[in-house]
Amino acid sequence: MLALDISGLEMRFPGIDTPVLSIPRLHVPAGAQLAITGASGSGKSTLVNAVTGLETTTAGSVSWGGTDIARLSAGKRDAFRAAHIGLVMQDFHLFPGLSAFENVVLPVRLARRLTQIDRERALGLLETTGIARASQAIETLSRGEMQRVAVARALLSNPGVIVADEPTASLDRRTGDEVAELIVRLARQDGATLVVVTHDPVFRERLDRHITLEGGRIVEHSAEAWAA
Amino acid sequence: MIRFILADLNRFKAGALAVIVLIALSVALSVTVTLQERAVRLGSARAAEKFDLLVGAAGSETQLALSAVFLQPSPLPLMSGAILAKLSEDPRVEFAAPVGFGDSADGHPVVGTTTRLIAALSPTLAEGTGFMHLGDAVIGSEVARRIGAEIKPMHGAADEGGHTHTEIVYRVTGRMAPTGTAWDRAILVPIRAVWQLHGMTAHEHHDHAGEVAETVAANEHGHDHDHDHDHAPHIDAGAGVDEHFDAETPGIPAVLVKPKTIADAYRLRQEYRGETTLAVFPAEVLTRLYATLGDARSLLLAIAIGTQIIVIAAVLLVTVMHVGARRRQIGALRAFGAPRRAVVAIVWGELFLLFLLGFALGVCIGYAAAQFISATLTATTAIRMPVEFAWQDLSLALWFVVLAVLVSTVPALSTLRLSPAQALRS
Ligand SMILES: Nc1ncnc2c1ncn2[C@@H]1O[C@H](COP(=O)(O)OP(=O)(O)O)[C@@H](O)[C@H]1O
Ligand SMILES: [Mg+2]
Repeated sequence: MLALDISGLEMRFPGIDTPVLSIPRLHVPAGAQLAITGASGSGKSTLVNAVTGLETTTAGSVSWGGTDIARLSAGKRDAFRAAHIGLVMQDFHLFPGLSAFENVVLPVRLARRLTQIDRERALGLLETTGIARASQAIETLSRGEMQRVAVARALLSNPGVIVADEPTASLDRRTGDEVAELIVRLARQDGATLVVVTHDPVFRERLDRHITLEGGRIVEHSAEAWAA
Repeated sequence: MIRFILADLNRFKAGALAVIVLIALSVALSVTVTLQERAVRLGSARAAEKFDLLVGAAGSETQLALSAVFLQPSPLPLMSGAILAKLSEDPRVEFAAPVGFGDSADGHPVVGTTTRLIAALSPTLAEGTGFMHLGDAVIGSEVARRIGAEIKPMHGAADEGGHTHTEIVYRVTGRMAPTGTAWDRAILVPIRAVWQLHGMTAHEHHDHAGEVAETVAANEHGHDHDHDHDHAPHIDAGAGVDEHFDAETPGIPAVLVKPKTIADAYRLRQEYRGETTLAVFPAEVLTRLYATLGDARSLLLAIAIGTQIIVIAAVLLVTVMHVGARRRQIGALRAFGAPRRAVVAIVWGELFLLFLLGFALGVCIGYAAAQFISATLTATTAIRMPVEFAWQDLSLALWFVVLAVLVSTVPALSTLRLSPAQALRS
């Protein structure tokens, strides 16, 4: 588990005068759970991209447990994310033609040799997330099941941080609730710091703190979210 | 990794197949051109191997060589038989054999010659015996006749409107072992039988002396048949074979000479290159022809390589577009923790695999096509044309692989320029 410290973060895109995201300060303690809400286009995904190192920041620092990923090269950022951050996206980004199990282990397998421990953990995660047959072809799963496989994939290398960008937005109410419950439960179990972008008030209530973005700025935060 | 590449290719089956086929066809073109040119060159060189030196009447060197080596029917001028006699007696000559063409039977050339030439072509016969009587014939391995079968020679070839000689019916006494040359399709008969058939006895030769331009081959009008028939109404097929030639010997289109040494060969060629006679090394004539063949090959190969470049450019375009369409997938791979080198390797590996499969398939298709063409050529000419790879082909293959490696690197590296977030958003 890692604590997040953001200071002076700014994200600008070419052709846009004002920064798309501007966060002077944000602290999320290790093992805490943060919900990010806000209207569409308010900068939520941009924040996710910044804290996961998927996009280069314009200014400021984003540090996880003391490592400022804003200062790392693209390759190092990829490596840091692979080692410490489990990602879940709105569109599951699973790879057709592979089984549920193969999808879970794919990122690790592409980085190094798969160990027996990886294999067992992958099978265990699929069981926990409720996938009955690990060898089932991914395209034959339901949407809810697909997102569970994506959750299992995010957790495989036992990351200290789990970041989810609208993980339930493309699921129906009940399936979405189940997936939300699963993410929170597993993050708590592993003691991982959790950052979730969601519009769902029920999901937000499950987490211990939240912030709301508007025009790239934090306009509201719960008492626990220490932001300024 | 391999599993992922295969699953990925499986998703784009039709496209992958199209790319493989495109590459395969362009590679096959170069392979066929290269192999076929080599097959023709080797095949004809081997066919010419047994013909050291040819002496004929002054005229075209190429025609003389092609007629004797490939038994191509062409109107050759006749040379005085006295030269055959002179060559036979020459101490530098191991043997000199007359070669008299012009007749055919069922599309097979009937060639008048001596037992020495048969021995040179086929040291031991596959079946039967050589000829001992004027009416005996020895057939090449490709002639579908049995020992004892009758052969009715025809003047010229059937499709030239020749007529059948009624004066003699040859009887097959032996069959040569396969030689891989055009002579495998030939029917060999005693030269004296051919002379008699065409009314050319020793005495008559005197009458015709100086009238060299007449051809035994296709010159129907230059041949007085009534006259022939008057003089030779019937030929005694049972008469013994006489292979002694003197100054009275009738005219012949060509004499095959086997010199004792290489130095003798050059000296003889020098001596018989004159006003009335011509001496050639068939191998030399063929080398000259190959130069032309080689030019044709270079042209074809240039065209083949040109198509290959166009195909590779097309494939490159397709993959760059393909990578563009797959930006999301590539971004996702990196977002979920696949290292950049793995992503590059996947894109590169997929493309390289397609190139390699296309190349392998192309080599197979090219080889099969060359085999097919060679087989067709062999069926009509009896000249064995060996389709075989040579060491220098390896460098061509290596070039292709190097090119494939480089070309597949371009789209692979282009994936690096994207940030994963950008890739995911597209
Ligand atoms: N690469 C980019 N180039 C230009 N503008 C961008 C880029 N990425 C995001 N934006 C803009 O930034 C704003 C915030 O986007 P985003 O973070 O995706 O919003 P959301 O809160 O819906 O996830 C939007 O107005 C979007 O158009
Ligand atoms: Mg978003």
